[in-house]
Amino acid sequence: VDCQSESFRYPQLYSPGQQNLYFNKKVFVRCMMHSWYSSLILFFIPWAAMHDTVRDDGKDIADYQSFALLAQTCLLVVVSVQLCLDTYYWTAVNQFFMWGSLAAYFAVSFTMYSNGMFLIFTSAFPFVGVARNSLNQPNVWLTIFLASLLCLLPVVAFRFILIQLRPTINDKLRHKVQMEALPAPAPRRPPPRRISTRRSGYAFSHAQGYGNLVTSPPGWSPGQTFTLKLSQYSNWWCFLADECRCHCESVHMNIYRI
Amino acid sequence: MVKQEQELDNRPDNTAFTQQRLPAWQPMLSAGIIIPGFVLIGLAFIGIGVALFVTSRSIQVLEIDYTGVAQDSPCFKCSDPNAKNCMCTMEFSIDSLFQGPVFFYYGLTNYFQNYRRYGVSKDANQLSGDLEYFTNPSDDCAPYVYDNNKPIVPCGSVANSMFNDTFKLFQIVNGARKQVPLDGKGIAWWTDYNVKYRNPNVTPLRNAFNGTVKPVFWSRPAYELDPTDPANNGFINQDFLVWMRRAALPNFRKLYRRITEGDFAEGLPAGNYSLEIAYNYPVLSFDGEKKVVFSNVSWMGGKNEFLGIAYLVIGSLCVVMSIVMLIVYAKFKFPEED
Repeated sequence: VDCQSESFRYPQLYSPGQQNLYFNKKVFVRCMMHSWYSSLILFFIPWAAMHDTVRDDGKDIADYQSFALLAQTCLLVVVSVQLCLDTYYWTAVNQFFMWGSLAAYFAVSFTMYSNGMFLIFTSAFPFVGVARNSLNQPNVWLTIFLASLLCLLPVVAFRFILIQLRPTINDKLRHKVQMEALPAPAPRRPPPRRISTRRSGYAFSHAQGYGNLVTSPPGWSPGQTFTLKLSQYSNWWCFLADECRCHCESVHMNIYRI
Repeated sequence: MVKQEQELDNRPDNTAFTQQRLPAWQPMLSAGIIIPGFVLIGLAFIGIGVALFVTSRSIQVLEIDYTGVAQDSPCFKCSDPNAKNCMCTMEFSIDSLFQGPVFFYYGLTNYFQNYRRYGVSKDANQLSGDLEYFTNPSDDCAPYVYDNNKPIVPCGSVANSMFNDTFKLFQIVNGARKQVPLDGKGIAWWTDYNVKYRNPNVTPLRNAFNGTVKPVFWSRPAYELDPTDPANNGFINQDFLVWMRRAALPNFRKLYRRITEGDFAEGLPAGNYSLEIAYNYPVLSFDGEKKVVFSNVSWMGGKNEFLGIAYLVIGSLCVVMSIVMLIVYAKFKFPEED
């Protein structure tokens, strides 16, 4: 079924994987800088916001347990939204797990910090009452909002500018397909018309692999190589899936005729 | 043929879920969403920042340091470690009405209640009224577990180091001292008072403490912490609860009393005041400082200018970024070829 989709029309989608575009030393260092920046934000924003402040009824909020809960909640929100930014293909399963995990975090926190758990396992749940007493404060939620946006907005801006200045194959293709889809606004996007762009993120075609062994059927001498290296791998993928055989053989023949 | 049938049996189902054909939403970082989004977020942040800043500016705070380090300080005589039961008086004045309800905090600096070995040094079972742990306190409380072979109740470093300075506030009216009533009810969290800390179910309370001793540093045992109010004794004493809720940062404030009653219901009127301090708590050995803080509160809590300023700065940066992105988009929009 994969072979019926766009990936055969645009074999260049495999090239970022082969060129190690998505995971190399530069990307790794960039990732580390991003985490370093996020960690500083996730500690120092709650620290500065909780410094010498109190609840709106004058009682304590700058205590150890409330501070821990605040930093933890900021972290969860940042991680979830970052995942949302990285998910390009939202099926019902994605939606369920994404919002579900945020909801589960709050559900588990409130359960762990509830009276019931404290009364059953006294020394194991010392944070009783923390969620109730700190998460009903507006300045706590404003701090969470500030820390999350401060971590995420630079990522969004950076990605947007990178798409405009140096678009990758994926970005160009996604943009093109979206432009094509716009003139005919169907009430629901028909499922078969999907791009397997997320597949091309799986940069597994960049190794030399066994392409040669699989794609040289009897009759072809080993010396014969192709001008388009990419087609070699498209065929390898194809030969592994039984159903594609008829489709792929025709494509196979076309490419070999170059 | 048989082999092909077997292969057909093992073929996965041809449903939308197993063949990954589920309908999906594919968002894209397009200019039409990002740039207006940044502008909206920027404007919203600026709005919130203004509200926070204005509110924070309207909160009044008065801090009085009474450690007694300087020679000319009234409490210098009490900073001598050999002085016992020392009393000192700090005079101060207020220019304009200090809006009520006024909250009276004591503050400590360079005091690491967040130190881990200090923080785990308590017995949660003992503090929730379990009599078994009165005779056999947990080892987490080391070294404050037994004193002369008798179990300490409440055990541990956190309880032992409880703050024991007391304060009396007087307003000077026509040369005479008029006492300001201080309200100590309900200064700790409701969940601490009702759930986390419970007295053992023994009346009178002092009988539960038979065979145990008070913490080393305390002057009175737990069942006599408040002679004036019988309900404010044992582990549910409000000052004890406030102390046990350990602070996250080394410079912290803890609520001591509220000024809400009598003539001072509207707040502290302008005038001269005198604060009488029973100076018991030693902080000079670790270069700590003690102070008293008067503050009122608002919907955002105490005075904290950081949030307001941060929101304003980030809001402006968002608007600037959106302009930058608009320029980038207009000039460098990538061409439509594949």
